Amino acid sequence: MSKILIGRYVAGDSIIYRMDPRGKLLATILFILFVFLANNPVSYVIVTIFSFVAVAATKLKPKIFWDGVKPLIWLILFTSFLQLFFTVGGTVYWQWTIFALSSYGITNAVFIFIRFTVIILISTVMTVTTKPLEIADAIEWLLKPLKIVRVPVDKIALVMSIALRFVPTLFDETLKIMNAQRSRGADFNNGGLITRAKAITPLLVPLFINSLETAIDLSTAMESRGYRGDQGRTKFRVLRWSYLDLINLAYFILLLILLLVFRTH
Amino acid sequence: MATDSIIKIKNVSFSYPESDKPAIDNISFEVERGSWTSIIGHNGSGKSTIIRLINGLLVPDEKENSLIEVDGIKLNDDTVWDIRDKVGVVFQNPDNQFVGATVADDVAFGLENRGVPHEQMVKTVAEAIKAVGMSEYANSEPANLSGGQKQRVAIAGILAIRPKIIVLDEATSMLDPEGRDKILKIVRQMKDEYNLTVISITHDIDEANMADQVLVMNDGKLITEGSTKTVFSQVELLKKLGLDVPFFEQIKAKLLNDSMKIPASVDSEKELINFLCQLNSKM
Repeated sequence: MSKILIGRYVAGDSIIYRMDPRGKLLATILFILFVFLANNPVSYVIVTIFSFVAVAATKLKPKIFWDGVKPLIWLILFTSFLQLFFTVGGTVYWQWTIFALSSYGITNAVFIFIRFTVIILISTVMTVTTKPLEIADAIEWLLKPLKIVRVPVDKIALVMSIALRFVPTLFDETLKIMNAQRSRGADFNNGGLITRAKAITPLLVPLFINSLETAIDLSTAMESRGYRGDQGRTKFRVLRWSYLDLINLAYFILLLILLLVFRTH
Repeated sequence: MATDSIIKIKNVSFSYPESDKPAIDNISFEVERGSWTSIIGHNGSGKSTIIRLINGLLVPDEKENSLIEVDGIKLNDDTVWDIRDKVGVVFQNPDNQFVGATVADDVAFGLENRGVPHEQMVKTVAEAIKAVGMSEYANSEPANLSGGQKQRVAIAGILAIRPKIIVLDEATSMLDPEGRDKILKIVRQMKDEYNLTVISITHDIDEANMADQVLVMNDGKLITEGSTKTVFSQVELLKKLGLDVPFFEQIKAKLLNDSMKIPASVDSEKELINFLCQLNSKM
């Protein structure tokens, strides 16, 4: 029970693990933007190589990344197929009513497939090597400029970290309630969709009430421990940049340069 | 009790907005610096409400002659944060007061709130975690800790602030006996080490018996107060209020009822055992 995974963090040790979460988050976002620069076979090969190097640098089993792609594989294939049969242009090999198989269609389908896959791979690299809490810290850092327009970034960050902290607690609570209901004859596993949905109600109501009670208790405890909003708060968890983040940065700048050189202008 | 009182409460009343009966009905008492005070009473007697009034979580009914004073500071809107620096509360539910994502983060929470610089925070947090014997769990997440361990973290979080008073608001009621004993041992140790004043709200009669002074509450009123011995010897009164009495006091009361002559000096379990043994040997 103690090993509930929030997010998809997988324990491990490699240079990617030691990089600053802020750098990783930024790199992931930049990568997604850069991918759209690719527009010919050479640039797509470059993007693919770069993402596979990143995957290899995590020193994790390929299966973990396959698990990242798997849930979205139908979406990727569907989008690729749309490209394949609805793109018109180049040499047309086959046509039937509105469906057409053309050379443009084939290249587009392959490009879309690669684009989707590498984006998922790179975001998986980030989510499996970074703890949810670190991601929350990175998001907080990224949102910081919004403070100027009075977005309560510190409060949002605290909410995120408390939410993450309470996920296992709520999960335990759910199991407890489920067992209590089961011991009185409730059945959560049989019956059709509607029966099962109905069976969930006696689970949700106590869970909801418990959560409210927890929230009230927690706010009392926080207040009595001196919490009064963002006023003059300091932070215990501090993120530090290191030379590894320069490597991270250099890697993606190199990708940008290569893409700019090799893409079709 | 004209000596050094760290808490002074005078004529304080409080009613929850949705109820017409006061939760606290004109209560006055004082707590001596460095002492251990227990507050006992059945559910809804106002024990916990008193604590929430002392650290300003609740605001008492407005009355001219009422007063709450903690360590020489009168409680009002301006001083409430100063008073919360002096009073640390360990609440009942171990999970619902664990704010941080890890042990160290949670202990640091109070320090973060007070704007303590980072370097100092790191040092203080490590010390506080060590004081409650949780060093090896510093980076553990709450989901991997037992209730007793979480309560020890709560105590560490309070120690880090260096308060004058530590309040246990039924802090041991959700723990197993072992966890409970450990918590009480740590609190006793910390009390001696940092010269803390302890207030423990409890249902547990053994825990109440650790105190120097006991307050008995019922329906928002202070029924009786005094040293542990004087209060617990009022067996009839406590029973009438539906409260437990230490086992030896129950025996003693029954023996007295049977007109056995027990000297007043017999006021602990050990002394009672000694007395009874000697009684036998004479026969």
